[in-house]
Amino acid sequence: MDKRIWAIGGGKGGTGKSFVAASLGLHLASLDRDVVLVDADLGAPNLHTLLGVKASHPDLGDFLTNAIPTLEEAAVETPYRGLRIVKGSENILFIANLNHYKKLRLLRQLRQIKTPNVILDLGTGSSFNTLDFFLSANPGIVVATPEPTAIENTYLFLKSCIMRVLKLYMDHYKIQDLHQRMLDQIEKNSQSLYGFFKSLMESDRAYGTILYRALRAFRPCLVMNKTRDERDVLLGRSVADVARKYLLIDMKYLGAVPYDDDVHESLRGLRPFYLEHKDSAAARAIRQMSEELAYSIEFTLRTPPEIRLPDV
Amino acid sequence: MIKRIEDWNYYELLSVERTASQDEIWEAYQAALATYRDGSLAVYGLVTEDERGLILERIQEAFQTLRDPKKRRDYDLALLRHAAYFPPKVPFRKSVGKLEIEDAPPKRTRWARIKRIFSRNP
Repeated sequence: MDKRIWAIGGGKGGTGKSFVAASLGLHLASLDRDVVLVDADLGAPNLHTLLGVKASHPDLGDFLTNAIPTLEEAAVETPYRGLRIVKGSENILFIANLNHYKKLRLLRQLRQIKTPNVILDLGTGSSFNTLDFFLSANPGIVVATPEPTAIENTYLFLKSCIMRVLKLYMDHYKIQDLHQRMLDQIEKNSQSLYGFFKSLMESDRAYGTILYRALRAFRPCLVMNKTRDERDVLLGRSVADVARKYLLIDMKYLGAVPYDDDVHESLRGLRPFYLEHKDSAAARAIRQMSEELAYSIEFTLRTPPEIRLPDV
Repeated sequence: MIKRIEDWNYYELLSVERTASQDEIWEAYQAALATYRDGSLAVYGLVTEDERGLILERIQEAFQTLRDPKKRRDYDLALLRHAAYFPPKVPFRKSVGKLEIEDAPPKRTRWARIKRIFSRNP
């Protein structure tokens, strides 16, 4: 089976990114597939807590400060067979503001980990670091909740990803002058992306085609977490449909994870919810999603040019 | 390749296949109404009120047309006439899976036909 780098991201905090990442990791590991979970939430790492693992060294900070040479060595065993974790660093101030070279080194090492499944738990927001980690992975999963704030931030996150993809391609093809034009147009309204491509196609069809293809190659997945009724479940489908129509991206709706009070109880007891409540509707939903993604042939490693690195 | 909402056909608007049944069209219509209704969370922060009104109008128009078999047939024909590219039909092809289609016999030239006549009647 080919190597998969899964990234779990989103625009708003508290939507359950780490919960989804931990549950996906536990499920894949239970199927005897080797998994490495990487806590790439550089500003507020806590994935280890969801797995009931205490913070200790080595961690991501040790790799980024060159205390250990490879990311592989920072991946430590967990109590669960087949699952290792690269814990986030407590040295947040240094780590959260990664420079470009450290980011590239981390991205390269993520590709070199000798494990078929690497799951990145990303932080909130649209910093370049977060976006680049999300874009370098495939599948990239956006986690949202059925609340106006989360939906608004999801669209913002997707817009930021789109602009980042286009910017990377513009830099690669040395057409940076288009970047300001894109920024000016995209800020106007939701149909502005269409306006940008239309005017670009008229002025330079070749570059327009390249950028449009780059945009269409960005195919994020959506998970609606903490749903309470059928309306919330359908909201996920609607969000994916609106993103397809207005942001011109091919977004796939993976499904909904129902709200469960036991998640809170498991977290308080420092026990993984997925293992403690295997028969719950939420755990079933996670299983269904991971199966759909794991066996899907449409996801292969595909990254924008500037963050695609030669294998060393 | 890239279209404005105004230029989308009715099937794209309702996100259904062109071969969709009446039930599928009804379901897609209900889903589209839920997506773009007043106060819908799905458009929050991305779609303006004017754009929402426009797409709702077009969704109504799409449903009114596609639910009526005669109107739908006329619409499909109009869509086909405006299609920019029709893949050329291949007259003969080799067998594909269970479908067995034989190759056409080789075409005889005039000289071959004359030879055949003489060979039969020496």
